[in-house]
Amino acid sequence: MDNERFLLKVKLQKHQQMKFFSQLDLVRVLGRALRRTDLPIYFTKGFNPHVKLSFGDALKLGQEGIVDITFYFTAKIPVDEFKDKLIPQLPRGLSIVEIGEK
Amino acid sequence: MDWINFKKPQRYLGNEHNVIKKSYFPGQVRICLCFPDLYELGMSNVGMKIIYGQLNSFEGIYCERVFMPDEDLYLYLTEKKKKLFSLETKTPLCDFEILGFNFGYELNFTNFLAMLSSGGVELRALERKDTIVLGGGIANPEGLAEFVDVFFLGEFEVQAEKFAEIIKRYKDKEERLRALAEIDGFYIPKFYDVYIKGNRFVFEKKYKHAKLPIRKVFVKDLDNSFFPVNWLTPHTAIVHDRAQIEIARGCPNECSFCQARCLYFPYRERGVERVLDLAKGVYKSSGYENLSLLSLSASNYSNIEKLVEEITAYFKDKCVGVSLPSLRIEDVVGRLYKSLRRIKKVSATFAVEAATETLRERINKKIDLNKLFEAARVLKSLNSRHIKLYFMFGLPYEEDSDLLAIGDFLRTLKAESRLKINLSINAFIPKPFSSFEDVDMESAQKLLKKKELILSNIPRDRDVKLSISNIRKSILEAVTSYADRSFSKVIYRAFCLGARFDSYDERFNYSVWREAFKQSGTSMEDYLQRKKDNFSFSHIEMK
Ligand code: SF4
Repeated sequence: MDNERFLLKVKLQKHQQMKFFSQLDLVRVLGRALRRTDLPIYFTKGFNPHVKLSFGDALKLGQEGIVDITFYFTAKIPVDEFKDKLIPQLPRGLSIVEIGEK
Repeated sequence: MDWINFKKPQRYLGNEHNVIKKSYFPGQVRICLCFPDLYELGMSNVGMKIIYGQLNSFEGIYCERVFMPDEDLYLYLTEKKKKLFSLETKTPLCDFEILGFNFGYELNFTNFLAMLSSGGVELRALERKDTIVLGGGIANPEGLAEFVDVFFLGEFEVQAEKFAEIIKRYKDKEERLRALAEIDGFYIPKFYDVYIKGNRFVFEKKYKHAKLPIRKVFVKDLDNSFFPVNWLTPHTAIVHDRAQIEIARGCPNECSFCQARCLYFPYRERGVERVLDLAKGVYKSSGYENLSLLSLSASNYSNIEKLVEEITAYFKDKCVGVSLPSLRIEDVVGRLYKSLRRIKKVSATFAVEAATETLRERINKKIDLNKLFEAARVLKSLNSRHIKLYFMFGLPYEEDSDLLAIGDFLRTLKAESRLKINLSINAFIPKPFSSFEDVDMESAQKLLKKKELILSNIPRDRDVKLSISNIRKSILEAVTSYADRSFSKVIYRAFCLGARFDSYDERFNYSVWREAFKQSGTSMEDYLQRKKDNFSFSHIEMK
């Protein structure tokens, strides 16, 4: 059974040292950052459930710029709450530029 | 630095979650913990995290980290005459007062010299005016005696506070060393004369307050010992990519070849409640999606059923993978079966060591192979596809039939389970303080023959992935493990000739080492055969 999912589309700026971290590293970094908050995380189904995230096009390693990322939750999260909780958990070099609900 | 030109620059940035940043003030004691292997390995080491957290918990001390740089950065630094630096503040190693090295693995010793040299630090203890090089995690320190000012024997948590007091109180290197010499666990090689008389090593104190024999120290109460709850969490993949909670130290089993049980003697457990608290705390601070319950033999943990049940209950909804390495086969199929089903990652690693019952009995390895076949079937039903098995060869009492039995065993296991098998076959390397410390390592020739014999009977099958020891490398490890003080010069030569990363099969260079032995007027064989009535480390007590 699939739970209902609530999405937040986020534009994330990758700069300074974080430009050396790959897309795969980002999955790790964001998954762990989310887990450190008490936000209602949506986990993928299946044998090896993990934090669900989807990514737009990857940047080249060493390149600064914007990545599009969709976050998934099991309840509706106000944008401000999302920011208040996630931002303190992000490493320097990752910052939220824009959030759109959907 | 233009990091993009280097492999995995993430290793050198020092921006992990929970990294400790302190600002400098005059009088602050600056320590750098140094790990003589790559970041991915060093960051998987729990001991280093404990010491990092604990030393930084003291006022007036700032403790940073550095790992062995990979070849590209190492060569770049050498060529550009730049110095190896700490991750946190990018300070050259020569600017630290204390460098604390982890010597847990003998084949990292040339990396240790490479790090000192790259960091602008003199290699020999006596040449260094102010910097103190401290080394721990080692069983027999003698081979490094020329390079290390002070060794720590045992578990550092116990004396960390006294250590901090002393380095804050005394500023002069000599005063610091003298003060440390009076505390259990610290061993300052230059305060002892070691020489050979007749067929024995003789140990004499040169400084009257130094201890003899030297005793290791250990944590008495694991529940109240320091644990780094603010878990240092990397942003990139490392070898053991999970948070690790120690549930016990030491091991109540007595496998004759085992050194770990002696280094971590006696066996101690951490209570279920405390383990749970730590696991929750570490998860909260790190967000790690995988958690491992660490011990040498989880099956011996007295409350293992309760622990597994409670921990899986807590982490189930959080989708955290809990792994329990070091479980015995009986438990996987027996009492833990129900709970294990709830943990998504059943670690199926079994140290069988010897393929026949007779040989297992002689090395005191208690394991019932029939149970393993049963376990393999259960694993299949748990959705595990892999099983990892360890064997040894070159053991005392071993016959050819024991070696051929490895292949036979694999065929039976394959027929019964159809699991994919990761097979690791290692040459037996006698180790100080184990029950087999008196046993001779077999000659390279014999070991090569045995290796061939084993391989001749291993099924050629894409479901069996095999790794087997490089014999010369294993012999070097044996020699290094038993080294006396004269061995420092061989390590030094090897380093000068370019030996680094000796623990990596593809980087280990036997001819460099052979040359290093030759230039030192000796040979590997010579060291192997050097038998005395006692050992170069007989002044040290591990129990
Ligand atoms: S080999 Fe493992 S089970 Fe045997 S004594 Fe050593 S740690 Fe314990």
